[in-house]
Amino acid sequence: MEAVHIENLEFSYDGETPVLKGITLNIPRGSYTAVVGHNGSGKSTLAKLIIGLLEPAAGKIEVLGWPLTEATASEIRDHVGIVFQNPDNQFIGSTVADDIAFGLENHCVPTEEMQPLIEENAAKVGMLDYLNAEPTNLSGGQKQRVAIAGILAMSPDIIIFDESTSMLDPQGKASVNAQIRKLNKEKNITILSITHDMDEAAQAEHVVVLEKGKVVAEGKPEEVFENEKMMKDLKLDLPFALKASKAFEKAGMAVRPVLSLDELVEEVCRLK
Amino acid sequence: MNNIALGRYLPIDSVVSRMDPRSKIMILLILMIAIFIPAGFWGYIPIVLFIIAALYLSKLKLSYAMRSLKPMMWMMVFLLVINILVLHEGTLLVSWGWFKIYSSALIQTAYVIIRLTLMIILTTILTATTKPLDLTLGIEKLLKPFEKIGLPAHVIAMMISIALRFIPTLIEETNRIMNAQASRGIDMQNGSFKEKISAVLSLIVPLFVSAFDRADQLANAMEARGYDPSRPRTRYKVLKMNSVDYVAMALSVLVLAIDIIMAVMGV
Repeated sequence: MEAVHIENLEFSYDGETPVLKGITLNIPRGSYTAVVGHNGSGKSTLAKLIIGLLEPAAGKIEVLGWPLTEATASEIRDHVGIVFQNPDNQFIGSTVADDIAFGLENHCVPTEEMQPLIEENAAKVGMLDYLNAEPTNLSGGQKQRVAIAGILAMSPDIIIFDESTSMLDPQGKASVNAQIRKLNKEKNITILSITHDMDEAAQAEHVVVLEKGKVVAEGKPEEVFENEKMMKDLKLDLPFALKASKAFEKAGMAVRPVLSLDELVEEVCRLK
Repeated sequence: MNNIALGRYLPIDSVVSRMDPRSKIMILLILMIAIFIPAGFWGYIPIVLFIIAALYLSKLKLSYAMRSLKPMMWMMVFLLVINILVLHEGTLLVSWGWFKIYSSALIQTAYVIIRLTLMIILTTILTATTKPLDLTLGIEKLLKPFEKIGLPAHVIAMMISIALRFIPTLIEETNRIMNAQASRGIDMQNGSFKEKISAVLSLIVPLFVSAFDRADQLANAMEARGYDPSRPRTRYKVLKMNSVDYVAMALSVLVLAIDIIMAVMGV
């Protein structure tokens, strides 16, 4: 069974200009999919549609086998979490513990079960020492990690990251990206990451390229990024490691094209 | 913006700060009624004693509570002037041409000043010893009985707590916009009245736009995390009253009773 199954999905905000034009997409369970594309390509709209914040104009969305309708949306949200872009605008509680508790409160988790759940999930994202901290005293990366903890507390099957790292400094970005990888590998949570950051997309198993509301390319990152001409035409950047390794190759050094920085370091170290 | 004492929470551990917010709010209400009972100047003695005890137990400095009075100074002076000009009863104290001061003007002003001072000190003690979130939770629980007549207590509490949560964020945003506008040559401090108005507009408009944007995103985030105001929710924080709460409430009722008796007997 697929985590998310989308068929001929169409959407428009004003009823005239289409934002999504017939998207068909399958996201297998336990996979890590990155959706890349320009501003206005419809990436974030897609995320909002999957979680039922928007209603499709046409087409079908199935989440974990259930068709997404207004009636099932709240049930589906019990299994799907989303981390948005702006760390401040999704921090609802006045302290870290309160914010993690927010989702639990909404799902009527008994009060006495909350504290252990909060501590357990804060520990998972390395925020256990900050339970009483207020959002003003946290960095953007820490706030995003709290948002992840709040979602993890509800033990979701799917987590959507809607440009969650785009407002973070490099350190915050790295910590959140490491967290995403860990969730996918260790907890087997299906990850759908909507991103601008090609380095992050390169760490996914599956990359979907969206352009003007259509899927223009799809596949393993090495396959998608292989098509340099298409990426150039779409004015999308290549992951840094790939660009660097190709530059080495061009300069006549025996470096294989790689996607991650770690691999690049390994390749370069192997050079004489 | 940081020197406003009224409404700020101070993280001092004390008997008062550990009290249940519900009882603190109830005591505030009871004492406010007591303050407005016309029991003469002597009627304020029990209230003042109660406040002194509360200040002592809450480990707050009197100077801190008094600091929140500062913004009221001009209002009090204004009130005195109005009273002197309007009230012409009682004995004539000063006569200086057309300018006359009667005793009633001074007495009335004194009453108002005492009432205001006591109320502000009481509210300061409440807000300084209670976390904003506990305060909202207390308000929510106290409004619970009114849910039967259609008052959405938990929605009101949610709105207040979100408003409190976003105050620092919006202050930060205000500073950022002010800096951005200053760098574009807008002067907030100097200039004619008209120029100042347009300078303020250049702050207000972007602030509102971003606040609405934030509200939209926040609503999305809340909905995505399963918030539905029409559905029941459990609560993470639970309030519990202790013996201190009951004693303090009983004492405040006693203060009210003394004031009522004094007013009725016309002491």
